[in-house]
Amino acid sequence: MKRLTVEELNLEGQPGAFAGTLMNSSADLVTRVCQGDSDAFRLIFERYSRPVISFIFDMVNDRPLAEELTQETFVRAYRAMRTMRADTKLSTWLFGIARNVARESLRARVRASSHVDLADKSVMDLSDNKPVPVEGLLNKELNELIRRSLAPLDEDTRLVFTLKVLHQCSYEEIAAITGFSIAKLKTDLHRARAEMRRRISPYAGVGYEV
Amino acid sequence: MKCEENIGLLEEYLDGELSAEDQNEVSAHLITCASCGDEFAALTAEQEMFARYDREIEVSPAVWNRIAEQIAPVEETISYGWWMKIAAMVILTIGLGSVYFLSREKEAITTIPRPPEQEFARFIIPTPEKKTPIKRLRKPIVKDNPGVLSSDLAYLDIDDQETVNHLEKTQNLLRSIRNFPVSEGDEEVDVTYDKALSQRLLNENVVLRREAEMKAKFPTKTLLADLEPLLIDIANLPDHARPEDVRVIKERVEKTEIVAALTEYRDRGTHNR
Repeated sequence: MKRLTVEELNLEGQPGAFAGTLMNSSADLVTRVCQGDSDAFRLIFERYSRPVISFIFDMVNDRPLAEELTQETFVRAYRAMRTMRADTKLSTWLFGIARNVARESLRARVRASSHVDLADKSVMDLSDNKPVPVEGLLNKELNELIRRSLAPLDEDTRLVFTLKVLHQCSYEEIAAITGFSIAKLKTDLHRARAEMRRRISPYAGVGYEV
Repeated sequence: MKCEENIGLLEEYLDGELSAEDQNEVSAHLITCASCGDEFAALTAEQEMFARYDREIEVSPAVWNRIAEQIAPVEETISYGWWMKIAAMVILTIGLGSVYFLSREKEAITTIPRPPEQEFARFIIPTPEKKTPIKRLRKPIVKDNPGVLSSDLAYLDIDDQETVNHLEKTQNLLRSIRNFPVSEGDEEVDVTYDKALSQRLLNENVVLRREAEMKAKFPTKTLLADLEPLLIDIANLPDHARPEDVRVIKERVEKTEIVAALTEYRDRGTHNR
């Protein structure tokens, strides 16, 4: 499967990035949506839905819920598009909405106490597995290992790690999405990397230990 | 640059977030220091491993269909909102006009010169004036099927975004159920998605209902309590439900016009914030 990252979102404005770039740059699409062109919003959805659903999935670790929250993100984006500032990058703005939607859902889940054992379960499942060198890990196993290691991180560190390492956002973009200061996000990112390393290194074999 | 200092900058170096000056210093150090070079190689390997991460997640076409369904009524809502504003302005104008005329009339009465014998009128107990009863304009209350959804239109205490969002999601689920294609020939209907969504909304509904109760928001609490039987029924459907079971729920949704009612509640909630 092709892996989409925010870098791909940054193609806007580059010659030949998309067919019909002139009229379909993100800024043009936003203008068209504000003028009531729903086809333009469809294009925005097609362009950004995969990074958005991936990001939400990283945050909530639940596929059907990620789909539902992606839907919610785009509905909110459509309704708020007129309020979007001209100097804001569409991808950053969408990730900001997605982050809020995911956070509300996580808090509702904690209050409902239905998924609070998610982190413990992941750790338990991992510790039940026998260490396998990284070369021996199939892609599927590696995906599962990363997914399970990500789930128990606290919300802030998971958020920063996801945006930086998995979606390659810049510090500036992360600060815009999360509202965190650069100093805080650097600290959270360092903690997240160390924690992920601690969880993954027993399974990742030679060449990985730091 | 010392190794200790260099190690502290390696992550930012890898992230491409260092200033040009620091970047040059780290690069120069990495060439000469094998130990720091190993650290950086390990970090790079780690980064490459995360770059291989594939969530195996796709966006199903149904997501766009549901978004399209949800954003379509916004236009109706906006136009409805404008009509409400115009109506409110007309009523306000009439109201202010009435007040103005009444005050003018009163002023006219008080400035009429009294005949001399009425100079003593202030010592006489005045006979009460016969007042014309004021007719109040009342919005007709739409009655829903009692016991399913409360028809009280005074849901003015929905002031938190979470409840508004929840009502919106519930509204979309019910709309989706209402529009669910069930034909005579169907042996079973796949309601896996709607069922799972209903289970989640039910959990959310219970939490929000309790919160509303604790905050003494009784109309909101009643509204949420009224939604629960429907959510429970949808959540209890088997993944592949019998068409008649789905049809019964569809009919309940249609009969009670819940979708339309929720639109109104949601809009009231949105406007109240």
